Amino acid sequence: MPGIDVRCEGVRKGFGTVDAVAPLSVTFAAGRTTALLGPSGCGKSTLLRLIAGLETPEDGRISLGGDDPKTVAGRGGLAMAFQDPSLLPWRSVRANIALGAELARKPDDRVDHLIDLVGLSGFADHRPAELSGGMRQRAAIARSLVSDPDLLLLDEPFGAVDALTRRRLGAELPPLWWESGATAILVTHSVEEAVHLSDRILVLSARPARIVADIPVDLPIGSNARAPEADAHRAIVTKVMTALEGTA
Amino acid sequence: MRQRLRPALVVLVMLALWEAAVWAVGGSVLISSPLSILTYLIEEWHLVLRAAVETTGNAAHGFLWGNLAAVALAALVIAVPISGRLVSAIALLVFSVPLIASGPILRVLYGPGVGPQVTLAALAVYYTTFIALVVGLRAVPRTWTDLIEIYGHGQLVILAKVRAWASFPYLFAGLQIAAPASLLGAMIGEFTGAERGLGVLTLRGMRGLETDAIWALATVSALIAIAAYWALGWLGRRIVGYQPVILLSPPRTVGNRPVQNRIIELALITLAVLMFWQVAMDAAGLNRFFAKRPGDIWVFLSDGGNRETLLAALGQTLAFAVPGYLAGLGLGAGLAALLVVMPGVAGAAMPIAVALRSIPIITTAPVLLLAFGRGATGTIVVVAVMIFFPTLVACMQGLRQTPGQIVELFSSYGAGRWRLLTAAQIPAMLPAFFASARMAVPAALLAVTTAEWLATGKGIGVLMALTASTSNYNMLWSCVVLLCVTAAAMYAVVSWCERAVLSIYASEQLI
Repeated sequence: MPGIDVRCEGVRKGFGTVDAVAPLSVTFAAGRTTALLGPSGCGKSTLLRLIAGLETPEDGRISLGGDDPKTVAGRGGLAMAFQDPSLLPWRSVRANIALGAELARKPDDRVDHLIDLVGLSGFADHRPAELSGGMRQRAAIARSLVSDPDLLLLDEPFGAVDALTRRRLGAELPPLWWESGATAILVTHSVEEAVHLSDRILVLSARPARIVADIPVDLPIGSNARAPEADAHRAIVTKVMTALEGTA
Repeated sequence: MRQRLRPALVVLVMLALWEAAVWAVGGSVLISSPLSILTYLIEEWHLVLRAAVETTGNAAHGFLWGNLAAVALAALVIAVPISGRLVSAIALLVFSVPLIASGPILRVLYGPGVGPQVTLAALAVYYTTFIALVVGLRAVPRTWTDLIEIYGHGQLVILAKVRAWASFPYLFAGLQIAAPASLLGAMIGEFTGAERGLGVLTLRGMRGLETDAIWALATVSALIAIAAYWALGWLGRRIVGYQPVILLSPPRTVGNRPVQNRIIELALITLAVLMFWQVAMDAAGLNRFFAKRPGDIWVFLSDGGNRETLLAALGQTLAFAVPGYLAGLGLGAGLAALLVVMPGVAGAAMPIAVALRSIPIITTAPVLLLAFGRGATGTIVVVAVMIFFPTLVACMQGLRQTPGQIVELFSSYGAGRWRLLTAAQIPAMLPAFFASARMAVPAALLAVTTAEWLATGKGIGVLMALTASTSNYNMLWSCVVLLCVTAAAMYAVVSWCERAVLSIYASEQLI
């Protein structure tokens, strides 16, 4: 399914007296992957929840391909992966992945294909408790893709796994959503991961979140230039790090 | 395997000691030995079996209805969150009315038959299941509900796909506690007048001072209770796979709400209860002669003489209930602390304590009254024993909540066990202790009124027994109202103490 563009116009959200997101205007291009980077607690996740329609902005407007988030959610056009895999412990891996299609009111004919793609073929009938942390996260990613969403929201999906698994997941999984053509927004703490997985990196300031740098990642998808060892990769990492230091 | 054999061994040793003790006393009219209990059961097996089937059947009926009511109430609280406080408060208030007080009223409302037994069994179970279920339905991680909402679904789908499933283990934990409680309800129903059942046989045994019969019936009902408790635990583990640790007590409501809000809440709850009482009686078209309305009680209590009789009886009751309550709490918490200092003993004691907690103590009240006398001592012992086991189990669970790193910190400084206990473990136990202290309030009132009903010549329990048999229904209803108010007042006092203590030791618990 072709992705949709996401427009935030003057979006503001506060909790009590604290502003989590200052009036913020930004556009995420259709079919592209944008990474949000910034200091802890700067409001990245709040912005993601606003775009998902899980929170309502106090000011401003969010439009997903011309519609408001609730409308897109209602037709199953959204999917999200969280830091915690959030698999339902009483469902098997297959049933957990199928839940994505079930909730989006879409056919579940892609379930087995996705189980293969994320490398869980032998574990389809296992319960989440029987899987490793990395495997659970793969299942969660598969669940977010099974409904073929227009917009994929990734809230630190690799944040809770160990460094090695994280690197492997990062290397294996991204083509899945790149190929589907979905628009993706990735919240992460890892600069390397952002450079590796996205087309564009937005560096946010400390709370309330403002955009302090907008850095394109114009490296061919899936090419060696995206590998952490590549010079092109490192050059962008340096640029992002400089921008991040400015936020401290 | 050795771990499993140990409690069995302890039980065997205790049985042997029991037999030896009775033999040493040289036979007694107060205590039966295990062998004479067995002899009675073999001789009277058909009588006991028929009674056991009757009581268990009524209990099972009540268990079903009570738990269905609990599910409906929990669904209401989750679906209409604003109703939560009111529904929970009324549910607690109704649960606080001692079953022995509702028994005679239900008897006159239902007439002969099993109605009161089944209703009392239902009343005995609905509250604990309700609490467990509400905790379970609410204990859902935020991301699980986000996951459903992201696809544009609302609370109904969240309930069906997530909350209902997530609450399953909690439901089973509640059902497990409910199983023995339903037996207790059914037996109290039989105490207040029935044709058949273990409660009826027990009453007959007490009148005829048949020691072996009383002990044998107490043993049978205790065994049924333990069996039901274990069966549901087993079923829960089979179906759900794990058991969560939950404190079966209402959520703390000692937050920093303004005083006027609490007064408004109290007024609303009182009004709702009075309206429900009036409307329910009118709707059922019950005769005003025995089905009294709030107005009747108001008029009755306007008379100074009536008030005096009632308050004198309440005073006698509290003189038994309060010492028993404090003794039960103190002994339960004290033994829990002692067992933590001796971990070897605690390992063997815990399964036995859990098993004994599952016995509805009321079924053993006749035995305790026989052994400790029908006066103050016997009654206080019944109350204390009723509270002792739940407190012991809750406190042992609470003591285990001490964070491991704190225990290690203490041992890294070479601190002794007592130092660790007083400085770290007891403060960690306090929330569990107070949770069980709150739940012990209705338990204490139930125990004291039942003991009075069965044996002593004093207190509000006796007043109820007398007025029930002399058809003085104004006084009977007044007793129930007064017990209800007393339970609420005692509960408030305990909550106040809880707040004062926890604000020092566990301020994070006060939301």
